[in-house]
Amino acid sequence: MTTSVVGKRIPKVDSMDKALGTAEYAGDIRMKGMLYGKIIRSLEYAHARVKSIDFKEAEKVPGVVKCLGPDDVTQNGYNTTIMKLLVPEAFNEVFGEISEMYVFNKHVKHQGDAVCGIIAENEEIAERAAEKVKIKYEPLPVYLTAEQSKQPDAVQFTPLKPGNLAGEFDPSFFPGKAYGWPDPETDKWGDDLEPECDVVVSDEFYLNKVKQCQMENNCAVALYDTRGRLNCWSSTQMPKPVQVLLADLFDLPLSRMRYITTIVGGAFGARLGMVCEPHACAMAMAVPGRPVKVEMTREEDWIASETRFPGDYKMKMGFKKDGTPVFVDAHFTGYKGGYYTHGNGPIFCAAAFVHGMYKWQTMRMKGDSYFTNQSPVGAFRGYGNPQTSFVQEQLIDVACEKLGLDSVEWRKKWHKTIGDETWLKGVTYASDDLNGCIDIAAEQFKWYQKKKKYAKQKGPKRRGIGMAVMNHTSGAWPMLLEHTVCTAKLNEDCTIELMQSVSDLGTGGHTAIVQMAADTLGWPLEDIHLKTGDSDVNGFDIGAHASRTVYCGGPATIEACESVKKQLLERASQLLEARVEDLEMDSKKIISVKGNPSKSIDARQIAKQGVYNFFDAASGKQIGIPGQIQGYSSFLANHCSPPMGATFSEVEVDVETGEVKLIELVNAHDIGKAIHPPSVEGQLEGGAQQGLGQVLTEDMLYDEEGHCLNSDFTDYKMLGPSDMPKAKIILVETAPDPIGPMGAKSCGESALMGPIGSVANAIADATGLRFVEAPITPERILRKIKENGITYE
Amino acid sequence: MPSSRILPEFDLLLPESVAEAVKMLKKHKAKATVMAGGTDVIVSATQGFCTPCVISLAKIKGLDSVKYSKSGGLKIGAMATLQTVADNADVKKHYPALHKSAAINGTPQTRNSGTVVGNVMRASPSGDCACALLALGAKVVFEGPKGKREVSLDDFFIDYKKTDRKPDELAVEIKVPVPKKGQVSAFNRMNRTTLDLSKLNAAVCLIVERGVCKSARIAMGAVAPKTVRLVDSENLLKGQKINASVLEAISASVGSQIDPITDVRSTAEYRKEVSPVLVRRTIEEAVA
Amino acid sequence: MDKQPITLTINGREYNILVAGHHTLLQVMRDQLDLTEVKYGCGRGECGACSVLVDDENEPSGRKVVDSCLILAATMDGRKITTSRGLGESGKPNVVQQAFVDESGIQCGFCTPGMVVKSTALLERNPKATEDEIRFGLEGNICRCTGYVKIVDSVKKAQKAINKKKK
Repeated sequence: MTTSVVGKRIPKVDSMDKALGTAEYAGDIRMKGMLYGKIIRSLEYAHARVKSIDFKEAEKVPGVVKCLGPDDVTQNGYNTTIMKLLVPEAFNEVFGEISEMYVFNKHVKHQGDAVCGIIAENEEIAERAAEKVKIKYEPLPVYLTAEQSKQPDAVQFTPLKPGNLAGEFDPSFFPGKAYGWPDPETDKWGDDLEPECDVVVSDEFYLNKVKQCQMENNCAVALYDTRGRLNCWSSTQMPKPVQVLLADLFDLPLSRMRYITTIVGGAFGARLGMVCEPHACAMAMAVPGRPVKVEMTREEDWIASETRFPGDYKMKMGFKKDGTPVFVDAHFTGYKGGYYTHGNGPIFCAAAFVHGMYKWQTMRMKGDSYFTNQSPVGAFRGYGNPQTSFVQEQLIDVACEKLGLDSVEWRKKWHKTIGDETWLKGVTYASDDLNGCIDIAAEQFKWYQKKKKYAKQKGPKRRGIGMAVMNHTSGAWPMLLEHTVCTAKLNEDCTIELMQSVSDLGTGGHTAIVQMAADTLGWPLEDIHLKTGDSDVNGFDIGAHASRTVYCGGPATIEACESVKKQLLERASQLLEARVEDLEMDSKKIISVKGNPSKSIDARQIAKQGVYNFFDAASGKQIGIPGQIQGYSSFLANHCSPPMGATFSEVEVDVETGEVKLIELVNAHDIGKAIHPPSVEGQLEGGAQQGLGQVLTEDMLYDEEGHCLNSDFTDYKMLGPSDMPKAKIILVETAPDPIGPMGAKSCGESALMGPIGSVANAIADATGLRFVEAPITPERILRKIKENGITYE
Repeated sequence: MPSSRILPEFDLLLPESVAEAVKMLKKHKAKATVMAGGTDVIVSATQGFCTPCVISLAKIKGLDSVKYSKSGGLKIGAMATLQTVADNADVKKHYPALHKSAAINGTPQTRNSGTVVGNVMRASPSGDCACALLALGAKVVFEGPKGKREVSLDDFFIDYKKTDRKPDELAVEIKVPVPKKGQVSAFNRMNRTTLDLSKLNAAVCLIVERGVCKSARIAMGAVAPKTVRLVDSENLLKGQKINASVLEAISASVGSQIDPITDVRSTAEYRKEVSPVLVRRTIEEAVA
Repeated sequence: MDKQPITLTINGREYNILVAGHHTLLQVMRDQLDLTEVKYGCGRGECGACSVLVDDENEPSGRKVVDSCLILAATMDGRKITTSRGLGESGKPNVVQQAFVDESGIQCGFCTPGMVVKSTALLERNPKATEDEIRFGLEGNICRCTGYVKIVDSVKKAQKAINKKKK
């Protein structure tokens, strides 16, 4: 008999440390002789050239060890993100990946750009010394929109990107610079089919610049040790790729670059690569033998780490009068911020997730981005999909209203399903119960009852309901590399050391992996120890992004553990003189012949004798079968089993003030199989807070000179516990995925899209007005009510 | 450069009596900042605003009391925290506007450290307690080298973060008069999320007898460089029955008495549009 | 700018130290005393990652929750402080911490030390808190991972256990 832990609501393997406060993050690291490294950033200028840096006075401050300018550190350029490692080199050119960031920059491209650094005995000394550094700048014009920076006379951000065009769909790979395909029957595109449509809807939307705001501030510790190895500790999402990037940046072979992952205090894409690791490492190289810690302040987070892609997003859709979707034509122009980083990724994905949702006859979406003098844009949970949700799900509702069709029924009829293409052409859905999700969520939300109830309302407080569906992905195959390595070492006492790089961002990845290992072997959870977060020990893994931890990491774990089990059974079959197929192993690790329990052997004995293998003089033989058992898997995914989900939301709008109160949210997610249900729910609940923030309250604001006006929690407003609606998450497991490990699909990023689209639709329902600018603030709502001269009875 | 982790260096003085504090203020004057709970002073310091010297009242005994009497009214000591005031049964009963402005201000942590007197001394135009106390007709009591001085809040707020306090004076107490017969009060604010500084706030204190408003005090914050009274609106209420047409007239009167700006929290247009709604709802709440 | 001698009792242990006047309690606890369970999250009293309990004779439980980033260490001479490590007996979890583990109210864990301190104080102050009161009471402790759903569930679970014990 085996006791299964997959699917059970067990405590997470790492919770107790965190509850007690004994869990250590990068900022808690204390090392002998540790120095503090301060990055001096351009705070006054968002766009400037650095003319001179004078360290004279700073160097005199007691306790200052070294001052470093742009020429005192590696001259290699880098890109914070690991993307270039995940595509073949030829594709890098297609995507136009560049590495134009430097540890310290002479061309300042955004407020917060790093200019120089100070290494001192402690942070306070570094701060006081920093005040004495004299930097002369030559200010340059500031560009805050794509429109401004694409002007022909605009200052060029980098010679590698003429016209400040940071990214676009390269026509060599994307004909017409668009993602999409003509109608297979007629070979026509949207503009040709438009005259044949009975209803056409379109609008121009604006998406806001929002920030991940993970609670752990960015921190990296680095040490160039006495063996000539560069060691770096931080909480990146992508440990192995960052090891490679750092090795490249400092011209080191991988054998001399060690990367250790500290506990990740939240990431959400902000750590999809490097943040201050380059600076910590550059400083460590300057003071060999002494560790240097670089710890960013909270206010640096908004101006010196990456944000979501804001921009202008146009979309047009055409339908037949019976609701048949004919075409969708769209264009997203993003405001890239100061550096290339994820120049193309989120824009491409925004288009891709349009492709993955509904059965359009033809779809075409263009995407491009232009540099602006703001924090660089990178990855934020959803990666283009939240933007698409805000736009696509609203237009669908507008269309359904014009068509006189029920928007829920329309979605049920026209969303893609098994056999249809997903976000990526050529990859079809493997499993789907979106209709099951819609039905159960609608029922629990009481959608139809509320529709009736709110049909006639009076007074200033108006209720509105809205819904939205979404599709995402589980890992990024085949667009990006998917590769995870796992070694399952069988200890001599028959417990497992699972050596696998698994990025747990609080997501529960460590727990899920260990659960899957335990269930594969049929052994107790306590017998599995996960050794992770050390590049010296762990084989390759991409890291946590594209919602891949369970879907792409799990199979490696399972394969490696199955190998251990197989080797044990093979040895047992020799020792018991039975066929492998006739053997079974229970949770107590006894291997016996099926139906003949007396013919058995303890797997512990096999494990012990494999290591402690003695020669028996009497028999002239070794005792037991020699060799320590180890299972190994180098797993490359061959699908991405996109999950889908449905969200229903209820809001109350005060039409006299424009204020929105969140009443209820129900999200049903087609998870396939929830390995650790509380973690899946946790992802969907937490992501809802982020999606709701994007659609209602969050926005990074800038003045005309490119200064961020709200780089603090005081004025960057996220929803708090009193602002959240009554939220219910339903995990739908009626359609286990045939490919995903134990039937599982992803959930990490899925959480944001439904809340965004459904709340935007709910506000439209409550007010009778459409809002195309996010966030939908009371100011915007009231202004539109007044502009349209609407009075509510 | 300002840092939220490393404060600028300053001299921290810890007087053990009011007299000692006054002596220090006489010596340092504007070079010293008085710190009660610290929630405002330290935040300012993280933003780079700090004087060479900070005088903390932490060691002075007897400044943290909240006392109410039928004859003397309410006395709030300089070190009485927002939570102490919010918890006080007399405050809740007799001064609902003040109770609410303290109870919903900030977070449990900042209410446990921050003080009502500090909120008033800060003179931020969006100060919640300042707004409620202005409507309630409160006075600040100072101790200085020349002795005690009382200032009505009507005269205390002069301009943006500028008050009538002299650099050598220490605010030791805020006094709120005994509620008159028929006195009702209410406070409301608007913000972006529950935890937020106010983008708009309003407080009213009315004397109502048999449905007729005998006198009114209406205060608003975040609509001018300082917390203000809407005197024209107050006059419209005087002697009137509080009915729909009076409330309409009051709503119409609000706009000309305020001059809001656009800032990171809201727009001038929105504040102007919504202020009448807020005032009207606050009056309705007071008399409900 | 001389350093001032103060005595702090933290989690039952006495520390006699010299502190600079402009150093916050957070800074002193983390950098001078290595009590790294108290986290720096924002330094401005918004996020609560630095929350600790300090003695207060006016509170029914004898202590209240504050942000250590908004307190100057030198003003705390003679005071008693409790961090997340001192909530339970001898380093064990208290009822609240155990509830957070059981209910999966912890994801990345960075807000957790402050969150369990706040939740403990909340329930000590108001054992019969309604859900609305719990939510309002949790303001000032920011979590970006959970959407607060399982945090509220954890507090409710702890509340049940505490009220059961009292009976």
